This record gives sequence, C-alpha cells and structure tokens, in this order.
Amino acid sequence: MSAALRTEELTKDYALGFWRKRPYRALDALSISVPAGEVFGFLGPNGAGKTTTLKLLMQLVYPTSGRAEMLGRPVGDLAVKHRIGYLPEHPYFYDYLTAEELLRYFGSLFGFSAAEARARADRLLDEVGIAGERRLQLRKYSKGMLQRLGIAQALLNDPELVIFDEPMSGLDPLGRRDVRSLILGLRDRGCTVFFSSHVLSDAEALCNQVAILARGRLVATGRLTDMLAFRARGWEMVVAGASDALVAALTPRTRRIVRIGEGRYQLDLPLEPPPERLLADVTAAGAHLVALNPIRETLEDFFIEQVASATDGSHRAV
Amino acid sequence: MRMPIAVIVALLLLAGAGVVQAAHDRAYPAVEIEDAPIYIASPVALRRLTEGFNGMAADLYWIRAIQYYGGTKRRLDALAQSPEPPAALADKSDYQHLYELLDITTSLDPRFDIAYRFGATFLAETYPSGPGRPDLAIALLEKGLRERPEKWQYLQDIGYIYYWYLTDYRRAAEYFERASDVPGAPNWLRPLAATTRAQGGDRRMSRAMWLSILESADVDWLRVQAERRLLQLRALDDIDALQARVDQYAARTGERVSGWNALVAARVLRGVPRDPAGTPYELTGDGKVRLSERSSLFPLPNEPLKLTPAP
Amino acid sequence: MKATGAIAINVFRESVRDKVLYNLVFFAILMMGASYLIGQLTAGQDVKIIKDLGLAAMSIFGLFIAVFIGIGLVSKEVERRSIYSLLAKPVRRWQLLVGKYAGLVLTLVVNIGVMTVALYAVLVYLRWGVSPAVEKAWDAPALDPALLKAIYLIFVELALVTAIALLFSTFSTPILSAAFTFGLTIVGQYSTDLRNFQDVLDSPVAQQIARGLYWVLPNLGQFDIKLRIVHGLPVSAGYLGTATLYAALYIAFLLVVSALVFSRRDFK
Repeated sequence: MSAALRTEELTKDYALGFWRKRPYRALDALSISVPAGEVFGFLGPNGAGKTTTLKLLMQLVYPTSGRAEMLGRPVGDLAVKHRIGYLPEHPYFYDYLTAEELLRYFGSLFGFSAAEARARADRLLDEVGIAGERRLQLRKYSKGMLQRLGIAQALLNDPELVIFDEPMSGLDPLGRRDVRSLILGLRDRGCTVFFSSHVLSDAEALCNQVAILARGRLVATGRLTDMLAFRARGWEMVVAGASDALVAALTPRTRRIVRIGEGRYQLDLPLEPPPERLLADVTAAGAHLVALNPIRETLEDFFIEQVASATDGSHRAV
Repeated sequence: MRMPIAVIVALLLLAGAGVVQAAHDRAYPAVEIEDAPIYIASPVALRRLTEGFNGMAADLYWIRAIQYYGGTKRRLDALAQSPEPPAALADKSDYQHLYELLDITTSLDPRFDIAYRFGATFLAETYPSGPGRPDLAIALLEKGLRERPEKWQYLQDIGYIYYWYLTDYRRAAEYFERASDVPGAPNWLRPLAATTRAQGGDRRMSRAMWLSILESADVDWLRVQAERRLLQLRALDDIDALQARVDQYAARTGERVSGWNALVAARVLRGVPRDPAGTPYELTGDGKVRLSERSSLFPLPNEPLKLTPAP
Repeated sequence: MKATGAIAINVFRESVRDKVLYNLVFFAILMMGASYLIGQLTAGQDVKIIKDLGLAAMSIFGLFIAVFIGIGLVSKEVERRSIYSLLAKPVRRWQLLVGKYAGLVLTLVVNIGVMTVALYAVLVYLRWGVSPAVEKAWDAPALDPALLKAIYLIFVELALVTAIALLFSTFSTPILSAAFTFGLTIVGQYSTDLRNFQDVLDSPVAQQIARGLYWVLPNLGQFDIKLRIVHGLPVSAGYLGTATLYAALYIAFLLVVSALVFSRRDFK
C-alpha cells in the first residue's frame, strides 16, 4: 500500500532572539509514513510540534532540512493541492462574507464553475450542519460554527487526503460526535485522514495508526492495536458464587477485590503470575468464572508514559 | 520564478523606472519654484498652513533659495564664459523669485540667522552674480532686526551694503554707529563709523575696514568676503599703477597703445600683467587698463556696470 | 488567472462591506457644505476653490484608503490566520498578492469614479446662472475636462502608494506598515528637493547618496498637477504618458519584490 503522506527527517528551526539568533528546534528529524485510506492520529502535548508539522506540509512554513511528500508529490506541488483538504487550527475567514459566499469563493479558486461551486457548497453546508446559517456574515459565527465551516471548506474539492489540525476543538459533545462520524465516513469513502489532536479518546476511537510527538521529536508510532496489545496492566476477573472464605484466601493474591453483588466479586489481578492458577483455585472452591479480561493500558497511560520518558522523567500535565 | 532571476527582473524594473523618470524630467522640467510663491503669496498664510512644521518648512525653502540662487548664478556664469554677446546678459529678471523665497523662509522661521545674512549677500550682489538689489537686501535685514533688535551683525551688514553698493557713506556710518551701540558689539565698530563719516569712499579706509573684518570674522563666509574685497582693492591699485605706466609710455612715444606686447617689448613691463586672481588685465583699444570680465574678481566696485538703486 | 480574478473580486467585496465606501458620503457632504459656504465669494473664485478642495480631498481620502486597506491586504490576513486556508488552495503565493493588489485598485477606481461625479455635480451647481462671457475670463472653465487629467494622475499616484503599502504589509505588522508607507509617501512628495540637495551638499559622498536616493525612492511629486490644471495651464499627453510609464514600471518593481518576500516567508 503506498503512502498517502510521508516525511523524511523533516526538521524546522526557528531563530529566536533579535541579535544572536539562537535556533529553537520546533521539529527534529520527523519521519513518518501514513498509509492510504487510513485514519492516522498525530498526537502530542501542547507545543510538541504538531501544528508546525502540519504547517510544513501545507507549505505555510519552509523546512530547515528534510523533505515531505503528499500523494506521491513533493510538498507545494500545485496539482496535488487540488486533491487535498486542510483544516487549520482555530479557523478564521473573512468577517464580511457569508458561509455560502466563502465556499463559492474557495470553489472558484479550485477552478469550479459557478454552478458547480454552488452545488458543492450546498451539499457541504448540509453535511456539516450549518445550512441554516448560510446567509449570516461570518463575523457573527460562533467558534463551533466556524469549526464546522472549516471542515466544510476542507472537503470542498472531494479530497483524497485531508489534514485536520485539532478538528474537535471548539465543538460541544454533539458536534464532536458529528465530526467523528464524518471522519469515519471519509475513511469509508477511501479518503486518508491525518489529524492532530491532544484529545486521546478521539484518537482511540478513530485511528488505525498514531504517531506521538513530544518536544519536537517522534517518540512512538505504529498501529494502535500493536502499541497497546501487549501492554496489559493486569487482569480483571469477575466471579460468582464465591464464599467469604474464598475471598479471604484470594485477597493477598489480588490487587483489589470489589464486591459487586451477592457472592459476586470483581478481582483486580496483577499481570504476573498468569491468572490460570488463580482461576483453577476459584473453580476448585466452587465459584465460577463470569468474565476474565486483560486490563489494557489506555492510550492515555501509554501517552503519559512515552511523553514523560521523553521529557526525562518529569511528569507533565497534558 | 527563481530567486536570482526575480531579483534581476526587479532591478531591471527599477532601472527602467529611473530611465523613464530621467526622460520625463528632461522633457518637463519642474516649474514648482515658480508656482509656490504664486500660489501662497502670503507668507503668513503659509506659516499657518505648516503650523507645527515651520522649522522644517523654513529649511526646505532655504534650500530651495540656495538652489535657485546657485543654479541661476552658475547658468549665467556659463553664459558669460561662452562666446555669446553680452547682450544676452542684459535681461536682469533671472533672479526675480529670490526675494520671495527668502521672505517666505524668514517668515516661517523669523530667527533664521543665515537666511538673513547670506540672503542679503545674495540679493545685494551685482548682476550677473546676483540680482543686484541692495534695497531688498536691506529690507530683509531690517525684517531680521524687527524680530531681533539686538543683532548688531545685521546693522553692520546694512552698513556695508550702504557703503559698498550704494556708496551712501553717511547712512553707512549711521548704521555702524547704531551697531556699535548694541551691547556686546565689537569695539572696532565705533572707530569704523567715525572714519566712514570722515573719509567716505577712501580706498585706504576701505582696506583698513576690510582688514579689521578679516581679523575679527567669526564666520567663514565673512572671511571669504573680506579676502575677496581686499583682492579687489588691490586690483584697483594695480589698475591705477598700470594706467599710469601706459599713459606715460603713450605720452613718451606718441603711440596709441593697444596691446601689452609693445610695452613688454619696450621693457616697461616684465610680462603680461595679471590680477591678484591670476587673470591677465586687459588693455582696451583706446589705451584703458581694465579688469577682464573673465576674472573671478569681476565686477570691481566703481566699474561702469555699477547699478543704480532699484525703483 | 481566474483564481487571481476571484481573489481581486473578494478584496473589493470585503472593502465594500467593510464600509470603506462610506468615505464617499463624507466626501459628498464636504463638497456640498463647502460649496454652500463659499458661494458668497465672487463667481470664479469659488469654482477655483471647489476644484482645489475637491482634488485635494480626493488625494487625501484616496491616500487613507490606499494605506489602510493596502496594509490590511496581507498583514491583517496573516495576523488573523485567514491566510492559512487560502494558501492551502491550488493558488500560488504571488497570485494571491497580485489578486489582492488588483482588488484594491478596483476599489480605488470605484471610489475615485464616484468622487469625480460628485465633484462635477457640484461644479454644475456652481456654474448655474453664470454667463459664458464671465466664464471665459476665468483661468479654466467650470466643467473643465482637463480636471480628468489631474484626477487620472491622482489615481496613478494612489496605485503606486497602494503597491508600497502592499510591499510593507508582506513582512511587517499593520502599524509599522502604515507608518512606513506614510513616511515613504511624504518623502516621495519632496523628491525634487532631494535632487536640489545635491547642489547644497559639499562632500561628493553625500552628493552621491542624495542622487542615489533620488533615483531609488518613488518620485511622487510629478503626479501632482492639480495647480496647473486649476489655473488652466496645459498638461500634454506626453507628460501623462511618461508619468504613467514611470508608475507602471515602479509598481511592477514593487510587486516583484513583494512577491519575492511573500513567497519566502514563514507564517508563524
């Protein structure tokens, strides 16, 4: 499967300070590859370099070194811009235009005829849910409405690859659910979705692959399932019909026992030793197994661990 | 477009613009010097208009005045050097806006010292070195005195103008006396007034006056003026001496002298006589010695080209 | 090219909606008020004064529009980040710049057009009831078509100032851009005096600098023929031609430099 998006040692230094230009490395040798047709999450705490990366991809800033390509063409290629869509962080447009006019304006920049642009605008305004406010001047739009419009303008040209910078920001839970289903819809249509976020639950729900960035460096990347698969923290066992004696006997071998009903207990077991022995003991005591699940590390746990180790052991609030 | 190409294109465009501008300037010389005094005839109105920037506006007009004076003088000098007939220089309206420009300058900034002093010098200069208007020069200095009556230098300057250009020795002495009355004035002004009154147009007295000015001059241009005047006085002396020799020779030999060669051949003179500026003196057809028009000391005071007081 | 045109139209639409054209209302009020007040003066004087006032107001209003919208063209967009979504579209950066410039020039054309009509309307009113014999004695007739020459050069000058504002706005903040543009415009008015400096300066180095500055800085004084037109003095087509050519070349220079700067900068 070819990569819809790829970077190679992409680096960006900013010159800080007026006289002695001390370079500040916002992005350090980023190399990632996004397979076509997948939803790829680009994660990291604030200031990690996510937005910088996206700006480099859109050629809003120029790299210090390294290269990047989208849909097989180097960044900045004009033809490729016909096939991609971009949603900037905190989108802002033109105070005195209406949503309708903005989409038609952008449509004309793609070379669509007036009729074509109008048709697409109508469709997208419906799809993102601001069809009712289409004639309102944008200076009257709320943050959430602007976000939806931002998504609409990113999809105007039916792109093969969309790049979203914090697509959920400014949206209420309903809005977020809408965007989530929209992203999944895009994936189903064969579109590649590359989005950056610091909200991990969204990534967990949507992404096939993720990359985690901290302090300008890539600290982890891969399929979500792979990253979290063998990182079970422990086991959760639910048993029924356990006697008090059994519970007392098992307690030292568990991290926690919670009574959840008559004779029903939830055991929080450590990863080692494997739970087979304990299960045998439970069965032998006359209780029976209701459920046995590995407690997977969440993305949040993983994230914090990765980021913390990247910042030399200091724990940072995300 | 690649960067170096774009830079070259940009520079070519700028150069092109410059070329067009040069052509435009040549074809349509700026006439704003004429327009400005016409449009805002009242310096008072102009002063109100530029309220807050009067100093800068005054500087601007002063620079224009200098450029106007200098440009016109250069142009006339070039004409004088060329083989054109002197009749071309007879029209004296070339400097007509000079007074207006100086008036505006000093209205915008009534304490603009050099505008008064240099301005008066320019105005009084005999044509073609200037408009030859000592009356306007005096008017300008009087204006300066209304603003600053303590300026003895202006009184002194007016005295010179009466003395040198208008040969009105009584008035000159009056002004030298008034100047000497101002506290802080140099102490050679009073004797100067006295001798002016007593001896009027005596060349020796003039020389003494200019020598004293040369010694006490605190401004460069004044020193230069004094040196020039002294050289002119020497030229006058030279001419008198040469004339005497020429007349003597003519009387002795009965010839009409019309060139220096005869005198040089007769060992009356060692070579062609030159004025203190280095230009040879001329001997006219009817035996009169005079300063060459090409000399930098031209015109000497008491020359026939001396002007009459303006109406 | 269609994209550039679309950008231009958008700039025009923004200006219209941003109530920039309200300045025309102010202009109209100014003209009418002034003509009423000075209608007391002898006929001939008031026509001249209205012409002077009208042309000067056109210049000044136009200048403010050129500078304040000009700097907003890029600076404001960059500051507000609206440029991000724009640059993601298949449009080159220089197209953006040229489109914005064209849009503002269009705004200026409309603005000046309306002001011209208003000025002539007021002149018609002033000329009402004045006999042709009296009008002949004036420097120039009331409805002098030569006024259009002066207005044309005012427009050309404004197009140049807009290009200057655009250049500064590609790399500087709105406030600094405004300051630099006003400063350069004022210096450009006095460029002939800069040439005069040469005669006044002593050191050859200073003279060279003055001369160099004269050629490089925009020479805006030549576009001011208001005085000549009002006094009925002729201004040849050749003069208009070379002035226009100069402006075109200088504007092209400014646009190329703007495009260079704009194409290379990072949008933080």
